[in-house]
Amino acid sequence: MSLDISFIGILIGSIMASSVPLILAASGELITERSGVLNLGVEGMMIIGAISGFALMVITDNLFIAIVGSMLSGVIISLIFGFLTQSLLTNHVATGLALTIFGIGLSAMLGKNFVGIPGKEFPILFSSLRESIPFFGPILFGHSIVLYFAFALPFLTNYFLKKTKLGLVVRAVGDSPVSASNQGINVILVRYCCILYGGAMCGLAGAYLSLIYTPQWIENMTAGRGWIALALVVFATWSPIKVLIGALIFGGITILQLHMQAIGFRIPVQFLSALPYLMTIIVLVVISRDSRKIKLNTPTSLGRIFYKEK
Amino acid sequence: MATDLRISNISKIYPGCVANDNVSLQFKSGKIYALLGENGAGKSTLVKILSGVISPDNGEVFLNERNLKLSSPLDAKKNKIGMVFQHFNLFETLSVFENLSIDATEDNKSLRVRINEILKKYNFSIDLDVPVLNLSAGQKQKVEIIRCLLRSPKVLIMDEPTSVLTEQETEELFISLKKFCDEGILIIYITHKLKEVLSLCDEVAVMRKGKVVSVSQTQNEKVETLANKMVGQKLAKIKKKINISKNKDEIFKVKHLNFYSDDPFETNLVNLNFSVKKGECLGIAGISGNGQNELFQILSGEIITPDTSIIFRNKEIAKLNPKQRREYLMAFSPEDRISQAAVPELKIYENVALNNFKSSNFFEKGLVNERKIKEHSKKILSDFSVNTDNVELKSQFLSGGNLQKLILGRELITAPELLICYNPTWGLDVGAINYIHETLIKINDQEKSTILISTDTEELLKLSDRIAVIYKGKLSKIMPSEEVTPEKLGVLMGGGSID
Repeated sequence: MSLDISFIGILIGSIMASSVPLILAASGELITERSGVLNLGVEGMMIIGAISGFALMVITDNLFIAIVGSMLSGVIISLIFGFLTQSLLTNHVATGLALTIFGIGLSAMLGKNFVGIPGKEFPILFSSLRESIPFFGPILFGHSIVLYFAFALPFLTNYFLKKTKLGLVVRAVGDSPVSASNQGINVILVRYCCILYGGAMCGLAGAYLSLIYTPQWIENMTAGRGWIALALVVFATWSPIKVLIGALIFGGITILQLHMQAIGFRIPVQFLSALPYLMTIIVLVVISRDSRKIKLNTPTSLGRIFYKEK
Repeated sequence: MATDLRISNISKIYPGCVANDNVSLQFKSGKIYALLGENGAGKSTLVKILSGVISPDNGEVFLNERNLKLSSPLDAKKNKIGMVFQHFNLFETLSVFENLSIDATEDNKSLRVRINEILKKYNFSIDLDVPVLNLSAGQKQKVEIIRCLLRSPKVLIMDEPTSVLTEQETEELFISLKKFCDEGILIIYITHKLKEVLSLCDEVAVMRKGKVVSVSQTQNEKVETLANKMVGQKLAKIKKKINISKNKDEIFKVKHLNFYSDDPFETNLVNLNFSVKKGECLGIAGISGNGQNELFQILSGEIITPDTSIIFRNKEIAKLNPKQRREYLMAFSPEDRISQAAVPELKIYENVALNNFKSSNFFEKGLVNERKIKEHSKKILSDFSVNTDNVELKSQFLSGGNLQKLILGRELITAPELLICYNPTWGLDVGAINYIHETLIKINDQEKSTILISTDTEELLKLSDRIAVIYKGKLSKIMPSEEVTPEKLGVLMGGGSID
């Protein structure tokens, strides 16, 4: 086992790449939840994003259209959720679960003709720097633009929520939709926007899987990442930076335990496979145990149906 | 500039209830106006209309003779109508400053300057950067008021502002309101507390059942005259004629009632012995938390204590559960109407059916006889003058007084021989209290007995034939109520002794 410096650099680079879908989906869901909407359809929206991104790439041979299209497909499918929960006042939990089941089924149907088609190489940035700088090269350079965006996103989200007027409005709606409505804020509109934004980010997360991470279409290729993203949001107590930390730990231990399995450590495989879940929860619980902060970050109205008095 | 607010022929009808019936009122700046009425009289509906939260079915609002279209809270804000709701409209997890900046049009710096000016001017001390959930009720209310003041309002509406305040905070509020009034802000003050109207307001409009029944100068009014207007009929001074006769049968007899609990929030009861005669009301006084909860639960059968003997109509019932006790013609009205006596999410008739005793015929072969239950519920609603006739209404939409009437009505279905109630008029307004008291007296007149556990000494003195005081789980000796004075009760309730 060669644990030289450059190997560790490559390892960290691959850990970063594997956490991108989690960061994207969880950051999107975080905004949705901060407005008081609990959308359990993350997995469904991701898989729809994955198939539509891949299909568009095959059909148009244009990666830009494929990426934008995957985000649009996320928006469209989350619009169904928004219409049901915000306009028809259905239960958030049931509707979100239905969305996931629907998304998985629909993607399998749409994807039938795309199984086995090879993907296209996605352009990477600064590839020459990646080779020339030891250790830092593979960490900082040679990634797709989506990865750079994903790593900036938690910070942007944090800035948006804490520093901007719109972010304040989103938090206010999540805290008390009735008060917000009485203050003249259009609660339904704000929640719609947050749901659609969440959908777009989940769509992008799916497209990252099918276009960049493992460029091909495989049925059910999100493999539960949507659920992990959902759990990350909760365990990170709705803090974008902690979502990033959680996603890196999860991605990191997933990759490390794969290496450990390959090397043949004398630890049961089942335990190693469970390790990412276990460690992520433990770390996030430990770093977010300040109960006062939890209370301040938790959207009080999460999952509750809001309707306007007439 | 003087402000003139005129409400013209406002009506708002909800299914089963006319909340506002052709309401017309006029207000001018420089005065504080009271809008007085019992719970459910339509005050809150009216102010929700004024603040744009709900739209009226009919009618118009004029500000300085300009017809206002108030279809959203934003419209009210734009027209300089400020509103402080009874339930605060604040964002608990956001800081005070964030709460105030959310609908501001200026940048944060100049907003902070203006807020600080207001804080200084009215002598408010509030830290702008702490989350609202750390503030006291009085401070939260001040944040709401500042929010209104930031928009330099012409009209300020306060909806039952003192219900959550301490004595001291109430005084501070009144001082501020008078200041605002001097500065030319028109103040409309909604309340059901008569004394506040007299001490604060210049003019008072009284609402009853959705209508304005009187508008007058407060200086011409007294507590009694306002109360009569609010309730609608002259409040009869209720005084029960006391009937203790030595030779009446004891219908209910408790011996050796002991209760021991490990739970630090429960009170232990020590050797309680008492009896109730036919047609008698036994009052049990005490400051809350001295064992009343536990006593009520033991008498109703929710808690079974060993070695206790309870004889009711010559039968030993100490081991029976509440349902079995009901079948022996006992009835119960617990303190917490919402969580113990009724299920708020259920409809009225479903709540009526909850006491499913054998004789009721509400259930046949395991099936619900809905028609019979509804008929019976209708009868309760009219016999006990609950202000709706819609048995399909969810119970949570009834006001406290109406819910209590419904519960009493339900409990009295069986013509019980003994009714045990615990704080039956807690949180109710004058009219409802009077009604409940009359009902309880009527029960005694019909030779049925009552046990009244209450923390309200006035109520106990009014209704009881004999009174005992419970203190730290022990019962004082039982005294005929003509020998009892409020002072004596006070001493016993505080743990002192008389004679």
